[in-house]
Amino acid sequence: MKRALTVFSALALSLSGCSAVTRGGALSSVPAASDRGMFLSTSGAPGRYTTLGFVQVRGYGVQVAGYQEAGHATLDGPIRGALAAEASRMGGNGVIHIEFLDENPTTDFERAQAAAQSIQNLASGQRGVEAKDRYVTVTGEVIRFEGAVQ
Amino acid sequence: MTRVLLAGVVAAALCGCTVVNSVSVPARGTSAEPFVTAGDITEPHEVLGLVQVTRTGVLLFGNLDVIGTDLEAGFKQALLPAIKEAGGDGAVRVRYQMTQYTPAARVLGAIFFIFPLPSTVTFTGQVVKLKGPAVAAAP
Repeated sequence: MKRALTVFSALALSLSGCSAVTRGGALSSVPAASDRGMFLSTSGAPGRYTTLGFVQVRGYGVQVAGYQEAGHATLDGPIRGALAAEASRMGGNGVIHIEFLDENPTTDFERAQAAAQSIQNLASGQRGVEAKDRYVTVTGEVIRFEGAVQ
Repeated sequence: MTRVLLAGVVAAALCGCTVVNSVSVPARGTSAEPFVTAGDITEPHEVLGLVQVTRTGVLLFGNLDVIGTDLEAGFKQALLPAIKEAGGDGAVRVRYQMTQYTPAARVLGAIFFIFPLPSTVTFTGQVVKLKGPAVAAAP
C-alpha cells in the first residue's frame, strides 16, 4: 500500500507542475450587455459615476481530500455574492477596480498528495480525510452611475 | 469510511463563510472632505506625493476593536487626515487591505482571550490637488 502511494505520488509529481491556477467567471463586458443588474469590473467604469465607498470581502472555505471545495473560497462566490450584495446595500449599481487574491492556492501535486494521504488515512483507520483551509480576498470600489450603464 | 467522508464534507460545508467590511465615502462635491477613488481622474491636477497609512492593534476577546483597525477607522481616522495634512483635495489609485477574521477565529479569540488577535488596516494612494473646479469622477 505504502509503495503504491509512493509510486502514485511520484507519478503525480512528474505529471503535474508546481503552479496553481485559480479561475473565475467573466465579469461585465463593455458596453454592458444590459443596463440592469450590477456592473462588475477589474477596470474603470464606462461612464460617469459617483464613488459611494469601498468594500473588502474575505471568503473562507475548506478543501477536502485535495479536490472537493466547500464554502466560499472561490473567486466567483465573493465577487458575485457578498461584494455585489454589499454594493447594492450601499446604494450602488456597480463595483469597479476589483482586485482579488486567492491567498493559498493548491498546486496539482498538492491536490494529488492530499487525495493520496486521505486514502491512506481512511485505509489505515487512523485519521480522517485531509482538509485545508482556503481563503480568497476581494476588494472593490462601489459606484453609482450618473445615467445608464454604457 | 463513508461516514468519515460524509462527516468531513458536512463539517467543511458548515465551516464556509464570508466576512464583509465596507466604508462609505462622501460624494465628490457634496462634502468638504477629500475625495477618494481607486481609479484615476481626468481633471488637471497636481500630484503632491504618495501616502500610506496603517493602523495596527488587537481585537480583545476576538471582537473588541478598541483602537480601530477596520476600513471605517482606517479611512476616516488615518487616510483623510493624511490627505488633508498633505494639502491635497483627494487621493487617487487608492488600495487598501485589512485583517479579516472568520467568525470561528473570533470565537477562538474570545475563548483564548489572553492572546488578542492582531489586526491591521492599510491604505495607500497618491495625493492630488485639483487645478480647476471639482467635478464628478470620469472614466
